[in-house]
Amino acid sequence: MEILTSRFGPIEMEADDVIHFPTGLLGLADCRDWVLLADARNDALAWLQNVQRPDVALAVVSPRRFITGYQMRVARRELVSLELSDVSRAEVLAILGKTTRAITLNLKAPVVINLDRRLGRQVIANGDLPVRYELGGERSSFRRSA
Amino acid sequence: MLVLSRQRDESIVIGDNVVVTIVDIRGDKVRLGIDAPEEIPVHRREVYEAIQRENSQAGKLDPRDARELAVPEASGSDTDSPG
Repeated sequence: MEILTSRFGPIEMEADDVIHFPTGLLGLADCRDWVLLADARNDALAWLQNVQRPDVALAVVSPRRFITGYQMRVARRELVSLELSDVSRAEVLAILGKTTRAITLNLKAPVVINLDRRLGRQVIANGDLPVRYELGGERSSFRRSA
Repeated sequence: MLVLSRQRDESIVIGDNVVVTIVDIRGDKVRLGIDAPEEIPVHRREVYEAIQRENSQAGKLDPRDARELAVPEASGSDTDSPG
């Protein structure tokens, strides 16, 4: 099947590629089916592209790659609907945002995916975590979008 | 909004399977106990709304901005680099 995405043009995929989020995302409850796409230019970056709404896509990264010692702490009830037989096999992704200064990671509400069962959920992590954790340092320029 | 008065240890039932109980009242702080199926998320409202707003903003992120993302060196630790 094909999605005519607004960012990436037409994308071909199989039914097996689809990850189902039974409760969608917070504020996007109707957006239940997604595919995970690798970014063509930046190999640390992926995109959760919505199937029902071709204009909806979220940039995601593995937070461990950017934050040393990152550990997701979340109430067990949050993960039950993902049918994980082994929590350590869950794929944890942080959604990118931005401020005027930097790209940010949403550490408060990561996305957890059970790749084997093709199920996903946005969970709310325990603790006083930012929805916009600024990634700092090495980037010398920040290009604003048109 | 439906407004009901409850005392400590009294409860409210929402639908068939959500029960909210007043666990404790101390000054102007109320402790609520919530019994709900695990698939129904339950969170403080301000947290929920902050995440909704952030998801909405994140959904508008342009790939050109996202691709500016610089991957740290293998250790991933924050170190000051010259220049």
